[in-house]
Order: sequence, then structure tokens, then C-alpha cells
Amino acid sequence: MSNILEAISMNKKVELGKDNELHILKDVNLDIEEGEFVSVMGPSGSGKSTLLYNVSGMDRITSGSVKFKDCEIGTLKEEELAKIRLNHMGFIFQDINLLKNLSLIDNIMFPALVSKDADKNAVYQKAKKLMEMTGIEKLADNTITQGSGGQLQRVAICRALINDPDIIFGDEPTGALDSKSSADIMSILAEINNEGTTIMLVTHDAKVAAKTERILFMVDGNLVAQKKMSKYDNQHDDIKKREESIMKWLVENGF
Amino acid sequence: MFLKMVKNDFVRQKIVTISVFVFIAMAVLLGASAINNIANLIQSMSDLQERAVPADITQMHSGEFDQAEIDKFTEEQRENIAMQETMDLLTLDGSNIHFGNNQTMAGTVQDISFVVQNKKFDFIMDLDNKKLDVTKGEVAVPIYFMQQYDLKIGDTITVKSGEYENEFVISDYARDYEMNSSLTSSKRFVINQADYNEMLLKQAGELEYLIEFKLHENGDSQGLQTAYIEGGLPANGPTVGGKIFLMFNAMSDAAVAMVIILISVLLIIIASLCIRLTLLATIDEDLREIGVMKAIGISKKDIKKVYLNKYRVMSVVAGIIGYLLSFAVVNLFNGNMRLYISSDLSGNLKYVLSLIAPLLVYFMIVMYCKKVLKRIDKISAVVALRKDSMERGKNQKYSFPLLKNKFFSTNIYMGLRDVWKRFKLYRLLFFIFIVCTFIVILPINIYNTMNSPEFSTYMGIGKSDMRIDLRRTDSITEDFKKLQEELKNDLDIEKYASYITSSYQVKNAEDSWDYMNIETGDFSIFPLNYLEGRAPEGEGEISLSFANASKDGLNKNVGDEVAVNVGGEEKNLKVTGIYQDITNGGKTAKAHTSLGVNDEAVLWYIVYMDVAQGVDIREKMDYYQNAYDSAQVNDIKEYTRQTLGNIIDQMSTVVIGAFAIAVIIAVLITALFLRMLLSKDMSQIAIMRSMGLTSKNIKHQYMAGTMMVLILGIIVGVLASNYLGELLVSMAMSTMGAAKIEFVHVVWQTWLLCPLVLIVVVGFTIFVSCKVAVKDDLSVVLRS
Repeated sequence: MSNILEAISMNKKVELGKDNELHILKDVNLDIEEGEFVSVMGPSGSGKSTLLYNVSGMDRITSGSVKFKDCEIGTLKEEELAKIRLNHMGFIFQDINLLKNLSLIDNIMFPALVSKDADKNAVYQKAKKLMEMTGIEKLADNTITQGSGGQLQRVAICRALINDPDIIFGDEPTGALDSKSSADIMSILAEINNEGTTIMLVTHDAKVAAKTERILFMVDGNLVAQKKMSKYDNQHDDIKKREESIMKWLVENGF
Repeated sequence: MFLKMVKNDFVRQKIVTISVFVFIAMAVLLGASAINNIANLIQSMSDLQERAVPADITQMHSGEFDQAEIDKFTEEQRENIAMQETMDLLTLDGSNIHFGNNQTMAGTVQDISFVVQNKKFDFIMDLDNKKLDVTKGEVAVPIYFMQQYDLKIGDTITVKSGEYENEFVISDYARDYEMNSSLTSSKRFVINQADYNEMLLKQAGELEYLIEFKLHENGDSQGLQTAYIEGGLPANGPTVGGKIFLMFNAMSDAAVAMVIILISVLLIIIASLCIRLTLLATIDEDLREIGVMKAIGISKKDIKKVYLNKYRVMSVVAGIIGYLLSFAVVNLFNGNMRLYISSDLSGNLKYVLSLIAPLLVYFMIVMYCKKVLKRIDKISAVVALRKDSMERGKNQKYSFPLLKNKFFSTNIYMGLRDVWKRFKLYRLLFFIFIVCTFIVILPINIYNTMNSPEFSTYMGIGKSDMRIDLRRTDSITEDFKKLQEELKNDLDIEKYASYITSSYQVKNAEDSWDYMNIETGDFSIFPLNYLEGRAPEGEGEISLSFANASKDGLNKNVGDEVAVNVGGEEKNLKVTGIYQDITNGGKTAKAHTSLGVNDEAVLWYIVYMDVAQGVDIREKMDYYQNAYDSAQVNDIKEYTRQTLGNIIDQMSTVVIGAFAIAVIIAVLITALFLRMLLSKDMSQIAIMRSMGLTSKNIKHQYMAGTMMVLILGIIVGVLASNYLGELLVSMAMSTMGAAKIEFVHVVWQTWLLCPLVLIVVVGFTIFVSCKVAVKDDLSVVLRS
């Protein structure tokens, strides 16, 4: 399979003040294949989220190269990058980040309706289908103050999927949820991945990582190790065993 | 410590702070200037009054006159009268006064009189407020004419009347307490006694008299007037009370001061709204810090102090700057006063009175801040620290779903619906746009109305092409008859109507007799718009001007009766209508021809006419002017223009000034508002950008929203200035005799040009201010 994402010698530095520069990502090399389900782990401040935002073009790298489907995104103009985000990428955040003044279904439809030639009816049908898939179809006309954290995160997933993205980036998508909601969200993501969408997410939680097929481990801005596993099969795989194996691997790598 | 916090806050919100500061300073500046102007007006009016010693009662009279009778009356009324003096006037037509390159004053609607300075009171002053003392061969010209014809000291004017011809050198300008204003229809030129005697000898001009009385402090003015009339003393002209001169003199400056105070109040409101917006945004931003401060035990009072101190410091500094600058700026507004009332405005009253403005503004701002800051009381430490929990579970009804959008692109629709969803936020901008449009359109409406032939309605005359006035010459009655004959046979004249104004005795509200000028004629030919009722059409009918019908006048309504002495017989006339009239002090009346003419007391004849189609009005005017030397021939527009005099000029300055102020306010507030809005919406903008919306998409949303507010604001503003403005102007004008002003709308100006200019200027500001591109990495905003 071909790579959907490729980073070579990627560096990210941030100026914090006069003579105070923070080197967050240090010569990171990375590739993600189409259809892969990858998680990024590491201690707080290791640069996991920064990695996610830089490979997705949300932030600009300081040096090196990032290619999305063979397109060098580091050199793209703001408008071109926005177009890629709109049509080929989806994002899910820990803080959910929905638009305040839109209902839940409008939040889902909005990225699709922005296109000039959007077929409103088709978009609506698709949004309904996504809401059914994630079990929130009854909440369509609710506002964002009328939903639980888990429900809103499902809305965010639906929104990320509305334009049929090639890849979904998740920054601790289950970080603020209870264990039941967290498990539900991960099941939905696994299902999406099974249908062919590449997923890259950042997490602290081994339980979450256990449902992915490759784990990248970061320490102090360096990608220090990676663990390749089989795709998680709900029917046959023992999640506990996968989780224990990940924990053991993390400890071996100094977590 | 607190100063340091104020300084930090200033650095954090530089632009906002500067704008609010400018608004407060401007409000103080204008407020103090207006108060300064009023203080100057009070002081210089009283100074001029003290020096000019105006008469309390002035009776105009032409024709037979015996001073001995007046002296006898004065002796009888010693308990009321302090001084009496009769001023002789030689009244000339404007065409008799030549100046410059073969120019004459023929076009003027003012009566021109040559007089000698009084000896006891009613003195005419020079520009230093000293009694004019004119030597032989010299003349002091009224300020009105100096402005009208641009006459300079050292220029010459030549008076030619019959055999008389003499050249006078202008030695001074005449500041005339009683007749300064363009609303007073006579103007006095002051000459030397010797020159006057020569004019009189050679019969230049018509001889008239101003029989003037200066009363004791507690003298009974009304009683004296009644006694005068009952005594059958010479009185075939109007009687004028001293108060009317005061009103005419102060009116234009007081009006300017009122307008400035109004703008100042608007600025205070705008500054308060900006402060509200800033404070709420700051509290919103600092919610966590406020929580922390509360959690570590700092009292509510001290927390409020942190925010309040900034505005305290700002109000004090802006107040001082505004107060000091007002002494420079006030000179822009008091030009008229310096010319007409006093060249020296160095009184001390203004320094003290002007302090009212900064003090008032300071207390208003501080009180308002305290009110807004009450919000801090409601914030509990826990809630503030867990900000998100505040927003959960609210039950709101959802409106404007995206699928309902049929006409706009999704981005434009998002912008429009945002205005509806957050109207509380946008209402500041909406209000500003309404106010700015109002400030622009109202003066234009007033200017257009004053400048229009329709304005004749408020001068008690119907709409016609031209008018011929025959006044103040012995030959007017013959001229009038001749003119009527000529008009009858003039095929160029489509229609005409003649009116005779004469003085009648009328029973007033106290059942005693007053003199009143009644115009008789056929009022159906050039119909006038009546406030109530209709024009007198038959015998026994009369209509009254608004001021005459009001409580201060005869206190009559339509249907009431007025007792008029006609040829020694008391006749009761029924009031058929009430009309508006700002001429002759606002007090006029019209009666049907059948009332008959009081031949002995005819004051003037007026003929109105419309020329036939294709006839050049100007040529016709020139013809009648040449044929009737002593007549004043005017087109109605010119007549209105001259009567309103410099009010129209002042209004045109106000139009330009108001436009500039409105545009500056609109541009500043729009830029300020968008900056605050974008900073408030930073996280929402970042979310949209993370989804793949470009800066341009987001910019379109904000532009659509603010442009909609602008357009709605302009529409409401134009409607408000058309309707509410009419009401306000009518209220102001009712003191002058016009109670129901209807604006003349020049639609392309009010609905097209001005809105278009505002849309272009503010639209450009919106375009420039909508900077949504985030320079930092998106994640910085998303994760903060």
C-alpha cells in the first residue's frame, strides 16, 4: 500500500520570548500507509499533539518535509491547505470544538455546505446516516448545550466524516470522556477504519491504543519506538491482552 | 500597584482604550464648548443689553405724528415709564442705495432706514460695543448688509433718491441690538445729524417713527400698551416688545449650542456602549483570573476597583484634555456671536460653567462602569474556574437552520444569522449606524426644506412664482391700483392675487384691545396648507397664525370668534383655520376681502402671481421692478432665502460638519467593534479554519453580518430622521410660529447618495478591519 502521509527530518521550534526557543519536534521521520490506524503515545510534553498538528498542516513546520498524498504541504498557501483540510482531512479534538450557534446536525453539515455546488438534500441524508451510525439521530436539532460530552464527540466524528476524508486526525478524542463513552467512540473509529479511512490519533490511554494497529512512542520530541500489531478484531482479539502487551512495551521504552 | 494594572490593561487593549479615550475627550470637549458658548452668550448678551439699553416697547408709526401728545402720555404714565425717545427714520428702497460697481441693494427684503444715534437709550453700537458716533459724510452699515454685500470699512455707498444724492464713507459696522437679526425685517444705517437733516430737507425717503419706551424695572408693559392704544396715540405700525429682540439675537447661537450638546450627549452614550462592550469582553476574558482572585480571598470591591480604576484614570485625563481644548475649539462655534453680539468674549463665567462638562462626564462614566461591573458579583469562584459548566443545559429554541437558506451562500447566511443570534452584541453597531445616519440626514432635510419654495407654507404664504411688495411710500395706494390694472391686461401672467395688510384693533384674551395686522384678500388663488381648518372664504371669517391662536396670543381654536374693531364697529369673526407663519414675530391673521380695508392704517400691499408657461420669470421680475421703482419684486425662493438669512448658510456648514462627524464615528466604532468581535470569536474562527474554511470564507461571514447591520441601521436612521426629525424640528420651530414642519425630501440625497456614501466608507472599513488570518499556528488557539 502507498503512504498517505510522509514526514522527513521534520522539526518544530517555537519562540517563547527573547532568547528562549523551544525545540518541540526533533528530526522526526514518519510514514503512514493508507488505511492504517495509528496511535501516538508518550509522556506529557513529549510533542505528540504537536506532531499531529504539524503533519496535518494545521501548524507550519520549522524545517524538513511533510507530504500528504505526495503533495508537499509545508509549501502550500493558506487557501490550498484549507482546501485539503476541507476535502481530504477530518479532525476530532479533546475539547470537541463545535460551533456554538449551530444545532448538532448543522454542525455536521456545515463543512459540506460550504462548497458552492453542495447538494443540500444529499448532505442532509448523509448527515442523518452518520448520526444513525453513531447513535445520536434523535439529537439532530439539539443545540450544543443540549448534549453530553460523549454525544458531542460523536457529533464531532460525524462532522469529520461528512466530506469523506482520506484521513482522520484525533487529538485525545476520548480524553475527556468516561470509560463507557470512550469505548463507544473507539468502536466507532475502528468501524470507520475498517471501511478504509486512515486514522491517526494521540492518546495517553493504553486501552485506546490497544484498538489501533501501530503505536508510535515519543519522548522529548523524538520518535523513539514503534510497535506494530495486527488490526483489532472485535470478535476474536482479547483487548486485555493487547493492552498488557502495550503496557509492557511502554515500560521497556522508559514510559 | 493599581496604576501598574491600569498601564498593563492599556497595553493589552491599546486600540480600544484609545478609541474610548477619544470619545470621552470629544464628549467633554463638545459639552464644555457648548456650555462655554452659552456662558459667553449670557454674559455678552447682558453686556450688550447694558450698553445698548434697548427699548421695552417699540411702536412703529408712519404718517401724522405729534411728539407733544407722546410727551403728555409719558408724563401720565410716569410710574411705568423711565424714559421715552422717538427715533426718526428715513426709509429708503434698496434700489436707492448704490455701492461697488454699479450695484444696488434692490434685491433685499429688508426695509432700509437712515437714522441718527439716539440720545437716551436704544443705542446702536460699533463692533467694540461702544456707542456709534458718526461724523459728517460717514455711515455705519448694519452687520447684516456688511455680510450680505461684503462691504468693507473705507468703501463708499451712494444714496440717490429724487434730487438727493450723497456719497457716504463706511466708517463702522452697526451692531444693532433691536434689529441685528435677519428675522427682524428692518435695518438701521447710522449717519450724522447734519447729513440726516439734508436728506430730510431734500425729501429722500419716507419719514417714519419709532416711538420707544424704556420702562422702570417693575413697569407694567401690557398695561402701558393698552393705555397707549386706548389713548388713540399714533400706532399704525406693529408694536414690538423687548423680549422678541432678545429671542431673535440669542436664537441662532442657542440653537448651535443645543446641537453641540446633543452631539456631546450622543458621544457619551457611544463611549458608554464601547465601555460596556470592552468591560464585558474583558470580564469574559479574565473570568478565570477573577475566579482566582475570589478564591484567594480578594473582596468583590477590590476586584471591581481593578477594572474601575482604568476608567477613572481615563475619564480624568480625557476630561482635563477636553476641558482645555474646548477653549480653542469654541472659537469655531462663536463666530456669529462675536460678530453680532460681542467681539470681546473674555468673561470669566465660562471657565467655571464649562467645568460642569468634565465633572458630569466623569460621574456618568464611573456610575455606568459600576453598573456594568455588578456582573462580577454574580460570578462565583468555582463557576469562574470551571467556565464550561456555565454553558451547559440551557434550553434555547433553535432558529435559522442551515437548510432553510435558499438565497445565499452558506458563508453569507452564517454571517446574517449570526446577527440575529447575537443581536445583543450587534445592537451597539446597529444603534451607532442609526445615529450616524440620523446625524447626516436630519441637517440635509432641514437644509432642503429651508431652501425649497415649499418653505413659504411656514411663512403664511401659498406657493407662487413671484411676489411684489409695496410698502412705505406715499404712492403705494396709487401704485397698487395701477399694478392691478396692468396685471389684468398682462397676458404673461397666468394668475395673480392681491392682499392688503392693515392694522385693526382686536380684543385679546384679557378682553382689552390690541392692534393686529390682518391681511385681506382672496386666499383661494394661491392656497396655503392649513394646520387646522381652512382659509376664510366668506364674510365674517378669519384665520389665525399658529402663534396668534396659541395661549400666548389670542388663545383661540377653530370655530371660536374673534372681536375686531372695523371702522368703529365691533365685528365678531369666526376662526376658520390656523396656519403656520414665522414672519412678523409669528403673529398674523387673514380675513376675507369682505372685511373691508382700514384705509387709514394700510401697512403694505402684496401681490402674488404665477407667470404663464414659457415666460421667463427673471425677465418678468425685472420688468415690474423697473416699472414700479419703490416695489420689492422677489421670487418666492429668494424671499425665503433672505428672510432666513444666515440660518441657511449656517445650516449648510452644519450639513458638512455633521457628515464628517458621522463618518468619523461610524468608521471608528466599526473598526473597534470588529476588532473586539474577532478577538471574542477567536476560538470559533480557529474551529472553522481547522474544518477547512479559508480566511476569505470567514471574512465573508463577518462582512455579510456587519453590512446587514449597516444597511438596516441606515434604513432605520433615514426613517427616524424623516419622521422623528420632523417632530423634533416642529417642536423647536413652534416657538417661532411653525408647529408642523413637513420636510422636503430630496429622495436621491436621502435614500441614495448619503446611504451610498456611508455604505462605501463603512463597507471599506469593514473590509479592512475583518482580519481573520491567524498568524500563529492554529493549534495555539485551538488548544488555549
